[in-house]
Amino acid sequence: MLHLLKIEWLKLKNYRTFWILFILFLISLFGINYITFLVQSNRPQDPMSTALIGAPFQFPEVWHTVTYMSGFLLFIPGVLMIITISNEFAFKTHRQNVIDGQSRTQFIITKMMLATIFAVISTIVVFITALLFGLFEKDSVFSTTGITYILYFFIQAVSYMMVSLLFGLFFRRSGIAIGVYFLYIFLLENLIAGLLDKYANHIGAYLPLKSTNSLIPFPFFRNITSQFYYEPNFTILLVLSAVYLTAYIIVGKRKFETVDL
Amino acid sequence: MTPVLSVNQLTKFYGPIRALNGVSFDVPKGSVFGILGPNGSGKTTLLGIVMDVLKQTSGSFQMFGKTPDADTRKHIGTLLETPNFYHYLSGERNLRIAAEIKEKGHEQIDDVLKKVNLYERKGSKFSTYSLGMKQRLAIAAALLGDPDVLMFDEPTNGLDPVGIAEIRNLILQLAAEGKTIIMASHILDEVEKVCTHVAIIQKGDLKTVGTVAEVLSKNADSTNLIEVSADNLEQLLIVVKGFAGVTEAYVQEGFVKVICGQDISARDINRYCFDNGIVLDRLNLKRKSLETTFLEITGKVSER
Repeated sequence: MLHLLKIEWLKLKNYRTFWILFILFLISLFGINYITFLVQSNRPQDPMSTALIGAPFQFPEVWHTVTYMSGFLLFIPGVLMIITISNEFAFKTHRQNVIDGQSRTQFIITKMMLATIFAVISTIVVFITALLFGLFEKDSVFSTTGITYILYFFIQAVSYMMVSLLFGLFFRRSGIAIGVYFLYIFLLENLIAGLLDKYANHIGAYLPLKSTNSLIPFPFFRNITSQFYYEPNFTILLVLSAVYLTAYIIVGKRKFETVDL
Repeated sequence: MTPVLSVNQLTKFYGPIRALNGVSFDVPKGSVFGILGPNGSGKTTLLGIVMDVLKQTSGSFQMFGKTPDADTRKHIGTLLETPNFYHYLSGERNLRIAAEIKEKGHEQIDDVLKKVNLYERKGSKFSTYSLGMKQRLAIAAALLGDPDVLMFDEPTNGLDPVGIAEIRNLILQLAAEGKTIIMASHILDEVEKVCTHVAIIQKGDLKTVGTVAEVLSKNADSTNLIEVSADNLEQLLIVVKGFAGVTEAYVQEGFVKVICGQDISARDINRYCFDNGIVLDRLNLKRKSLETTFLEITGKVSER
């Protein structure tokens, strides 16, 4: 295991594009939360709006707010994931790795481990971001209530990474893979979800990536939205997330093990 | 003795296209085994299947008497089709990855780089290398870990004449050390100069296999190669082709090369040409080379 990851590390260690995007991801994570912070802190400070909006950057809400906002940026490590796999196809190094003595299974499992590591790192960064925002917000007292949102974020992150890996595996070229990936996560899935919600009894939230997104619902105006909008069944969401994740792993593994490289 | 590689009825389809058709042969230990065939004949497909980057449609193969796995491949140095490296890494860093996968020490990296004359440029990014340097790096990677079996697919691709000679000498030197070398090539001259054994494949069919001497002698008793030339080669070619008993004639290096039945002598050709109004200025009865054998076996250029 460690040996395989060491090989992966040798591939990434001196890859500048990767590190630039990674640093931009870190900056963006802070950025998107800070923008949200600025927007909500500009609200009128009367009891009425406070009751409506709550205190999104105080503990315990901060766990919810930060994981929700950060979820929008998961496409960045997703792109990194696509690049790491499509590079192998572009350089034909996936062939060379196998020729040199990696089994096909080892190769694809290593990529999946890398996807998981990307998800872990993203989660750690989001945890730290939430912690910092929570601690620096005035009148905020540290609390671990709602820290499970960090776990939900991790599930969401792993799913995004595995889906990007699949897009890379199936489209092979980074341009088309990233293009279709963006279209899917930003447009297609939302479109299908919208249609399903309208015509098929609100099952839109159970689509592959939607189901993990829905683990962390829209955090603002909770008191109002929860009364008017349909809320998907949380247990089903968790089970489905696990089912989808298993499917990604099986499909990806099968694909790489049987195809002509 | 157990063959290093034994392929058995290998067949491969790419959709409706048949790239390999029931190919079987054995590669004996210590041989320099040439797989010879025109472009697109299935050479790379064959080696790709053996290295598990392609999946055969049917048939099987064994290495050292057993079905190979990933660990088997760690002890084979392979260059398949093109040099495959990370463009953004230096030659040396690329070799570190290869060495790591093969579980060989990094201390050999400098040695193999020196062997292929790439040591001075080891710190440069792969993307800055010329085609020849990329090819050398791929050969260096194959040499990592001092493997007993080497597979080279078009090893002199992209090299200049000096480079070609160097790589040929390297292959001969490796062979002298007792290593088994499997080499795919479409360059007849290359195979003839370095190989002990040859398999000729065309359009996925194995045409013939054996030691180079066997393959030559198998066909040697039936045909002659005669080189002729005259002022007008085109006209000469047309005339010679009209002569009964000539199986193949083509222009090369200022000669019309005539492959004909054993019963036809240089004298017959000379007389026939003279009778048809052509005076020959050169007439040679040639020892048969692999080249003529190859052309006989694979047919005319247009049929390949």
